[in-house]
Order: sequence, then structure tokens, then C-alpha cells
Amino acid sequence: MTLIEVADTPDALDALLAERGWGDGLPIVAPTPERVDAMLGALGDVDPDEVVATLPPRFGEATRRIIAVNAVMAGCAPEHLPVVISAVRALARPEVNLRGVNATTHCVAPLLIVHGEAARRGGYNGGTGAFGPGNRANATTGRAVRLVLLHVAGAVPGPGDASTQGGPAKYTYCVAEHIDATPWQGYAASVGVDAPSAVTVHCGEGPHNVHDMESSEPEAILDKVASAMATMGHNNVVISQGEFFLALCPEHAATIASAGWSRRDVQSYVFQRARLPAGRVRAAFQSRAWEPWMHAVPDDDLLPVTAHPDHIRVFVCGGAGKHSSVIPSWGMTKSVTLPVEP
Amino acid sequence: MQIYAPDGAVGPPSSLRQPGRPVLTGLRIGVLDNAKPNARLVMERAASQIAARTGATVTLVTDKGPGHNAATACSDEVLDRLQKEVDLVITGSAD
Repeated sequence: MTLIEVADTPDALDALLAERGWGDGLPIVAPTPERVDAMLGALGDVDPDEVVATLPPRFGEATRRIIAVNAVMAGCAPEHLPVVISAVRALARPEVNLRGVNATTHCVAPLLIVHGEAARRGGYNGGTGAFGPGNRANATTGRAVRLVLLHVAGAVPGPGDASTQGGPAKYTYCVAEHIDATPWQGYAASVGVDAPSAVTVHCGEGPHNVHDMESSEPEAILDKVASAMATMGHNNVVISQGEFFLALCPEHAATIASAGWSRRDVQSYVFQRARLPAGRVRAAFQSRAWEPWMHAVPDDDLLPVTAHPDHIRVFVCGGAGKHSSVIPSWGMTKSVTLPVEP
Repeated sequence: MQIYAPDGAVGPPSSLRQPGRPVLTGLRIGVLDNAKPNARLVMERAASQIAARTGATVTLVTDKGPGHNAATACSDEVLDRLQKEVDLVITGSAD
């Protein structure tokens, strides 16, 4: 671990970051050995120098200590560090395709969804204004993961991140699942992660709003969801493995569930409704990474915007009001949910 | 004060790069289309011009295989063909 001598002033710290090409443009907390040790103290009896993941495109080694350094810089509290580490571990899974996520011209950023005890203990917000701003846990955990991607993975705009326009989600992108307002099984358990705490990473766009103030039927709400999904502008329309995270607000979720609909019913209905004329998509895109059966759909028929209902992932977050959101993936990536472990 | 550098060490490379070929005469050139719009057109032109100047031959033009594109590696079958059938490959990297 390299230690650097720097004057203890904000200006000196800013100058060092600028000189080294570090940081996200916002002020940081100085990662002194004392602060990093205090951060690592939250982990218990684990090796701080074990490599948790090797992150492309730089192939930097993310040890617990290096992740803690970035968590300090982001402003995390020690209880947030296990979530940051688990998110980094998830991002390194091959199905995430982190090299592509980091290097693409697309605006993709990893959304972190925190589940269970870790969300409660860490003070993560899954209620009003969950996507921000105003909550330290959400803001700093998402920022810590971004700093790891910038510093360790080398996803620096230009040499390591070719994103044409970038995106605000690349600063921080973290919410909690609102488990108390979830009328179904919690999301993590629904995808087979039966742990007290878990974190999901989903590499996608920013949230696309779905506004429905008046409907009392599931179909009417979910038709608007399907409308937000069935657009020509996101990658998934030509990449059939793409996923859509559907962040239902509690009131929409309650309306849907009170009609007896399960999460599976929501996935199936939206899969049936989020469709575009096949010929229109073919005319617009030469390159299409579709399942073989999708290539056989006649031009006049409607084609789903993803290959399977399982690619539509449903969780609940938000407060009072009737705004949900759809978060399309980058395309060549799959979400991962892992237990929160140090 | 002292602070830690936040970037850490770089891990070992996952594979070694083949050394460059000093002379291309008589070699077989492959074009691996990454499926980006116009990539095949540009790379085929580049390949044919290199072949004309060096005495190499363009012997294979292929895509990355079903379901593979600019964001992924090519399929094992395509990689196997490239290894067997050509001496050098022109392709578009990343996205």
C-alpha cells in the first residue's frame, strides 16, 4: 500500500487528486491510515489484504483495504463497508461483464439495491426519495463503488470509460428495497439468496418514470410500465438477454397485490405487453443479439423487448405517491445478488 | 498528513500477447467483425490493403458467432477457426 505525504488542507488534497487523476470531481475525505483502520474495524476477523476481486479494464486488485480506502474517501461509515465489498464482489462476476460495463459508450452505471438487515442497520433509504439525495448511506455507498471503479478498475472517462455522455448515476446509484412495503417475498429471497442481508447489482440506465395517479387495476398500471419499456432508445430492444428492473412504488405494488397478483404475474403480464413491431425494430437496427426464435418473428407481429419474463425484475422502493420506475440494463450484462459478507 | 493511494496494485495478466510478426508476406489474414455498424466494411478494406502491400492473403471474414457482439468475446467455435485458419486477425476492440 502506497502512502503519500500531503499537507492537511482541502486545497492540497484537491491538488493531489487533480495531479494524480483521482476522485470523481467532488471533495473527498482524506484516507489516512487511522480512518482506513477504523473502517476496516467493522469487518471483524478477515484478511484486509486478501484480493476480493480483480477489476477490468485496468485489472486492479481490489483488496478489502483498498476498498476501505475508497469508502473513506466517499464518506462511508464503517457499517457500510461490508455492503461496498459485497457489491464489488458481485460486479466481478463474469455474467456482469464489467469490462464492457466500464468501457462502453453507453451511459450504464451499477445500481446497488441493499436488502435485509444491512439496509436497516446501515440506515439505507428505501422510502421517500430513495434514489436521492439526502441519505448518507445511499449516497456514500454508491459513491464508494464508483470510486473503486475509477481508481481500481480504471474506469476513468476517456481512457477507461468511453461513455458518450456519461450520466448522473455514475456519481452514485444506491437504494434500499422497501421490504415493509413489499407485498411479496423479498427480492433477494425471490432470486434464491436466502441471507439476512444481501446486495443486488444491476448495470443499467437511470430510472425512467412511470406515472399513474388514478388506476385501481393492475393492468392499467402495468400497461404504463410496458409503455416505458417498449421504446426504441435503449439497448435491450436488440439485446434479448437484457434485463429491466421494475421499481414499483408501495402504492402501485399494493394496488397490484390487492388484486391477487403475484410477482410472477407482474413479470408475465409486462412481458406480454412490452412489445414492438418486429419489422420496425429490424428496420432500425442491423445488429441484433436476439434469441433464435426472435429472428423468426414476422415483421407484422409484436416482439417482446426482452426474451423471457425472468428478465423483468420486480422490487419495491419509494414513499407515498404513485410514481414507479423502469431501469433498463445496458444489455450485455446480467444482474447479480449476493449475501452481504465481509 | 499521510494518505493511502486509492488505486492499488494491478493484477497479473490473464494471458500473454503473441509477439508481432515482422514480415507479413505469405501470411493468412482474418477479419473478425465485431458487429458494430460499418465495422466489417472498414476492416475488410484495411485487410485487403494490407494484403496488397505485403503479399499476405485475406482468407477468412467472420462474425463473432450467434449471440456475440462488440461487448463480448467471440464464441469458442469462432476462436478455434481463427487459430486454425489464419495467422493474424484484424478486429475492433471494446465498444
